[in-house]
Amino acid sequence: MEKKQSLPAPLKTTRREFIKAAGLASTVLALPTFIPASALGRDGAVAPSERIRVGGIGLGNQGGGDFGGFLGSPDVQYLAVCDVRKNVRDGKKAQVDERYKSKDCAAYNDFRELLARTDIDAVHVATPDHWHALIVTEACRHGKDVFCQKPETLTLREGPLMVEYARRYGRVVSGGSQRVLEDYRGTVDMCWGGKLGRVLSINVQTNNLSHACNLPPEPVPEGFDWEMWLGPAPWAPFNAKRCDGNFSTVENSWRSYWDYSGGEITDWGAHHFGGATFAVDVRELQPQEVIYHVAEGGQRAHLEFVYPNGMKITHCKPGKANMEVDSNESEARAPKPVPGYKGKGSIIGDFLYCVRTREKPFRDIQFAVNTMSLCHLGTIAYRLQRSLKWDAAKLTFPGDAEANRFIDRARRQPWQL
Amino acid sequence: MLEPAFEALKTYDWGMDRNVLNPIDEAVVKTRNDAAVRKELESQLLAVLQSNAPRDAKDYVCRQLRTMGTAASVPVLEQLLPNAELSHMARYALERIPEPQAGQALERQLGKLNGQLKIGVISSLGTRGQGVSLLRPLLQDSDEAVARAAAIALGRIASVDADKALGSAKPRPALAVVFADASMSCAEKLLAAGHAKDAKATYQRLLKNNPPELVRQAVERGLKACQTAV
Repeated sequence: MEKKQSLPAPLKTTRREFIKAAGLASTVLALPTFIPASALGRDGAVAPSERIRVGGIGLGNQGGGDFGGFLGSPDVQYLAVCDVRKNVRDGKKAQVDERYKSKDCAAYNDFRELLARTDIDAVHVATPDHWHALIVTEACRHGKDVFCQKPETLTLREGPLMVEYARRYGRVVSGGSQRVLEDYRGTVDMCWGGKLGRVLSINVQTNNLSHACNLPPEPVPEGFDWEMWLGPAPWAPFNAKRCDGNFSTVENSWRSYWDYSGGEITDWGAHHFGGATFAVDVRELQPQEVIYHVAEGGQRAHLEFVYPNGMKITHCKPGKANMEVDSNESEARAPKPVPGYKGKGSIIGDFLYCVRTREKPFRDIQFAVNTMSLCHLGTIAYRLQRSLKWDAAKLTFPGDAEANRFIDRARRQPWQL
Repeated sequence: MLEPAFEALKTYDWGMDRNVLNPIDEAVVKTRNDAAVRKELESQLLAVLQSNAPRDAKDYVCRQLRTMGTAASVPVLEQLLPNAELSHMARYALERIPEPQAGQALERQLGKLNGQLKIGVISSLGTRGQGVSLLRPLLQDSDEAVARAAAIALGRIASVDADKALGSAKPRPALAVVFADASMSCAEKLLAAGHAKDAKATYQRLLKNNPPELVRQAVERGLKACQTAV
């Protein structure tokens, strides 16, 4: 089961510390010409006028966890909620209003109305995956910083566009896998600490790919905007299991189905591959080749991702456990410092800190996109049952017309990326 | 194995067992190196698309044609573009069919469609990176949503011609930011291709229009990148 997002510890960054951090950081994003007053902290308690003004889009299940994390932060003034289910958005609005003892929280069915507000600094997004790229790019275009739940992308083409928009508008855009740092720290420390010598490869285990959905039609519940839930995905009749946000990837949630998710290879892969790329220090790269090993001897097919620097990440390699590392201990490696969350607290705390300082967050969107490339390349290799060459810079499978068909999917009108 | 699957496909609808179609899925993958078998498979799929089969069956066929459709599929798919129920799934296939006939079909239909279906075709042309001369006049379309879609598509194409089209257009105020955004996509691509001078010219043109603060900051970021590149 998915781990619930824990509430972040309060940020206690002083104005002096903030200025110091912004000035010294080596990975600082371009500073905006001005920093909104709402994004300047003070010692101890943060006055409402100086809090980061946040809105949330997609607030069920994991979105509900993120909502709690943001709403619970003393650094945040929560202004607006958005969900296509009236009961969900009404419930979240009530929680916000209860926290602030007011009736001020706005509730939207359409994310575009929330993004059009000029008084919101940042949004968190936890819709189904087929919406992520559209909302993230639109949020950047409206000058919002974004915390986007994993899996951040549904197709290979979406990733570079999300990075492009983040960089163009100087936005802090963080992916949303808390497990990369929090669950795999032991493996990361061993790799980065030099104990394992030269690291050769690491294995990732996930199960099923997503599949087609052909569930029967059911009446659309009152207050559920089904057309908006589908958005850019192919039209299909409502069925409660088709759109349930539970964490299963077997038949009873949107995570099970191709139109909305890659299944476990993307849903858990966003975590596991994120941890693996971090452990073997290839977060800044994408693989150049995926080798497909056919199923034989009772073993399932498995994959080997090969990086330009020779590093390998395997997927479901027989006899290997999740995050199992192969290395040559006789080749000594000097330890190097392990990057972590900035500020204090969880991945949400890291994001909020970076909103203030304009630094890149721990799961900067480029790292998230690179991680997701493994998930998507792996899915395509399994579906085509063969090996692939990949040119990340050109977003293409060189000379491979069949594989290139899988780089993206046409979006249902009027949605356009 | 294929015959029962195609028989089931004739009446395939939501709620039916998806597994009955698995033999077709498998055949699409396994026949990649056998042109004759593939041709026959494509022909059988197209027959379903031209029949009175349910929407779900045609949806399924379009998904398969996305994977293995050729120029032979294009005329049948093109006929579906004006069909409100199936236009998207026709594009789902056409957008990814590499043969030029697929793009030509989208271009042909562009002038015949209106509203959301037209926006869908504009979007697919943008993704395929073609149709600049046809998209250019749409920047001034009376339908604001169409003009917006054309600007976004030109930003995705991001060629020198696309940049010029955007530069010469006069967006209505509501679309100024979208047009500027598309122009910045072009400038970034020009810069990445080593044409810093051209990129700089695009950024400077945007600055002259007294853009909103967010766009101005983005433009200045772009100009800085141009200076670094020179």
